[in-house]
Amino acid sequence: MKVVINRWHAIAQWQWDTGRTDEHGDTEEDVCGICRVPFEGCCPTCKMPGDDCPLIWGECSHVFHMHCLLKWIGTPASKQQCPMDRRPWVTAERKVSGS
Amino acid sequence: MASDALRNQVATKWQESFNRLNRGSPGISGLMLFSEQAWTVASAFLYPRDLGEPPKDFNNQKIRTAFDVLMQCRMLPMLLESFVEDMRKRQHLITRDVEEYMAQYEATNSPSTIASLILRLADWYATWAPGGELGHTISAAFVTAFQTHIFSVLPPAFAGGFKRLIASTLELSTEAQDSRLWTAFEVLGLADRYEALIASVCYEHIEEHVLATCKGKWDEPMLPTLREWMADNVLPWMLLPYARGAKTTDEAKTMLQGVGSRFDFHVCKTLCDLRTQEVFDIVIDYPDSTPALQDLKECLQRVDQRAQLVQAIRKANKRRLLHPGADTKDILTQYVSIIRCLRIIDPPGVLLFKVADPIRRYLRERPDTIRSIVASLVADSESGDSLVDENEPIQPLSVAQIDDYMDPNWEPEPIDAGPEFRTNKPSDVISTLVSIYDSKDLFIKELQVLLAQRLLAVTDGDYEKERRNIEILKIRFGEAPLQVCEVMLRDMTDSRRIDQHVKTQQPSILHPTIISRHFWPQLQSSKIVMPGQLRSIQESYSKEYTLFKPDKKLRWLSHLGTVNLDIQLQDRTITADVPPLEAAFIELFSEKDSWSVEELISRVGAVERGVAVKALLTWVDLGVLKEEEGHTFRLLETADSSGGLRPSGSRTIIDEQPTVVTVQQQQAEQMRVYWKFIEGMLTNLGSLPLDRIQTMLKFAQGYDRTVDQLAGFMEAARREGLVTVREGLWRLNRG
Repeated sequence: MKVVINRWHAIAQWQWDTGRTDEHGDTEEDVCGICRVPFEGCCPTCKMPGDDCPLIWGECSHVFHMHCLLKWIGTPASKQQCPMDRRPWVTAERKVSGS
Repeated sequence: MASDALRNQVATKWQESFNRLNRGSPGISGLMLFSEQAWTVASAFLYPRDLGEPPKDFNNQKIRTAFDVLMQCRMLPMLLESFVEDMRKRQHLITRDVEEYMAQYEATNSPSTIASLILRLADWYATWAPGGELGHTISAAFVTAFQTHIFSVLPPAFAGGFKRLIASTLELSTEAQDSRLWTAFEVLGLADRYEALIASVCYEHIEEHVLATCKGKWDEPMLPTLREWMADNVLPWMLLPYARGAKTTDEAKTMLQGVGSRFDFHVCKTLCDLRTQEVFDIVIDYPDSTPALQDLKECLQRVDQRAQLVQAIRKANKRRLLHPGADTKDILTQYVSIIRCLRIIDPPGVLLFKVADPIRRYLRERPDTIRSIVASLVADSESGDSLVDENEPIQPLSVAQIDDYMDPNWEPEPIDAGPEFRTNKPSDVISTLVSIYDSKDLFIKELQVLLAQRLLAVTDGDYEKERRNIEILKIRFGEAPLQVCEVMLRDMTDSRRIDQHVKTQQPSILHPTIISRHFWPQLQSSKIVMPGQLRSIQESYSKEYTLFKPDKKLRWLSHLGTVNLDIQLQDRTITADVPPLEAAFIELFSEKDSWSVEELISRVGAVERGVAVKALLTWVDLGVLKEEEGHTFRLLETADSSGGLRPSGSRTIIDEQPTVVTVQQQQAEQMRVYWKFIEGMLTNLGSLPLDRIQTMLKFAQGYDRTVDQLAGFMEAARREGLVTVREGLWRLNRG
């Protein structure tokens, strides 16, 4: 017997590749450390998730919604530090190049 | 000062005159004789004779002289008394006649007998009546005495007969009317005495006609026709009893005015009663029954029966609509029709407000009301299940208006409005339906679920209709609440774009819909792993996707979607549209021919046994697999002749399990989380009343249930034996 697939209409969800492996599935979801909204959602100022509200990866391995982080960096109190570990914020080159 | 001579002369003249009157008789005997003669003549003239006797011949001159004399002697009252006494004595003649005729009537039941009786009585009257020249007093006394006598002898059966007689005259044309009869009624005083009876005959006639012509006839206005009928048929008849004395048309008109409007009122009332009885079916027939509603409106303006109408609709609704046997969709349709109908009858909406309340309360209790409303919101108008008239302009949901105290055109609420009544501007049907519930969030949620179901079912990329629907709904509900739907639609567009891009890189038979999971309703979760070539197809697509969108990756919801595949067997090829699980199983059969259910399940991951067996049976139905002993399935490389050949060819197996979790299921799921809290607090605090549990649960994040919902949940838990309740205190059931 041979099975030939002609057409397959499937359903998939997209996810940000945060570098962490999520073998647990959707039980533990990652949220932005600033706005506490899941990465796959969008930051408070955006309406459309995904490419319109991308993530930003730091060298320190922390990930945020780009808009959230830029807003944070824009405030004087931030001292250009990562809000999670207070190290100077350095955007990881590799990831943002795509967006 | 008169002289003696004058006095003498007067005395002489007086004596002379007296002697002449006395005819020379001694004393005053001559005078006595003279008046006696007059008395005899007068009473003989007045004496009530039998109809059978020939009329006596009287000399008019003599009689007048006799009456003159009696009048001069002031003996008229005595004469009258004796006349009345004579009548009383002769009354048995009439009584005899009446009894005779009534006996005949009892035998024949024919109104014509009554007519003859009345004519006969009129004859008696004419014969006995003293001439009108004798003065008003005598005729009046006679009429009273005569009528008293007649009415005292007429038996009770006469009223019934009289009624029938009147009824029979109604059917005659104007020309055929016996005017003698009506004169007799008038003369005998029957017209006055039986006025109510005559009116009731006419009322019954009207009722009969209205019922005969208007019952069930809703497609044309009946009221003008009825009024025409009144003018043509009843009015000419009414002239007889009610406008007898009229000489000119104008005079007749004034005489008929009062009674005419009474009858017109009765027409309206009868029609109103009829329509009130029929109102439920009229509403069902809307809009074909619009003329009937117009009639009803006009009648209600004349007849104050609004309360009865409300009662009738409420009763009919309760009996025919608001019961478990009725479909929610039907209730909604009827409700919308009622809204439209009552808006015709009563534009301010007071009636509607009173009628709608029980329906709204009932609908609120139905679990699928919102779903039905939402389904009809997005239903296409062609399929005919849309509640909304597409001609109605789409407008934002109206919100309850606060009274504008500065409004110079402010009008008070209608007089029969209840205290709850709010004058709202006529809002559209959808706003009214949505306002059944306090918040529109529930609608939005249900809308999402529905939209998700529809979008996920779309395979050919044609979702323009959904887009159009959402655009319309945006106008109604506002932009912000439908933002989520907007994201869902954009996911659809993006999926297509990505698919086109992937296709340029590497042709693929896989066309996924890629969704943003936080913006879609919760989907049925399942973790199946695709085997064999299915998996490699998925993987190669994922790779292309990640190349296209470097920061993203795909997570497959492998159990959702449809696969169209060919199964090439030795003697046949079967084409089928199946859910992915079925596809996964058949793919495994290409590895080896015989599998047990357990083996199959272990290969695809977490699948419930029932679901797995169902998927396998799909293939059995298609004649691809055969079930054998010990829950094993074997591939039929050649068609199984014993089991009967299945027709090969394309067959679509549609998974009837909904892909999207319904709002209800979601709520049940959430409640399970709160159960942990409840269990915790009952463990720590022993027993608690319901409102205490509710108060404590309110501390939990996102808890938005009402006490009633909580009560329902606790009741369910009690049925499962998890908790017990005593005197309103809940405690955990510890075995």
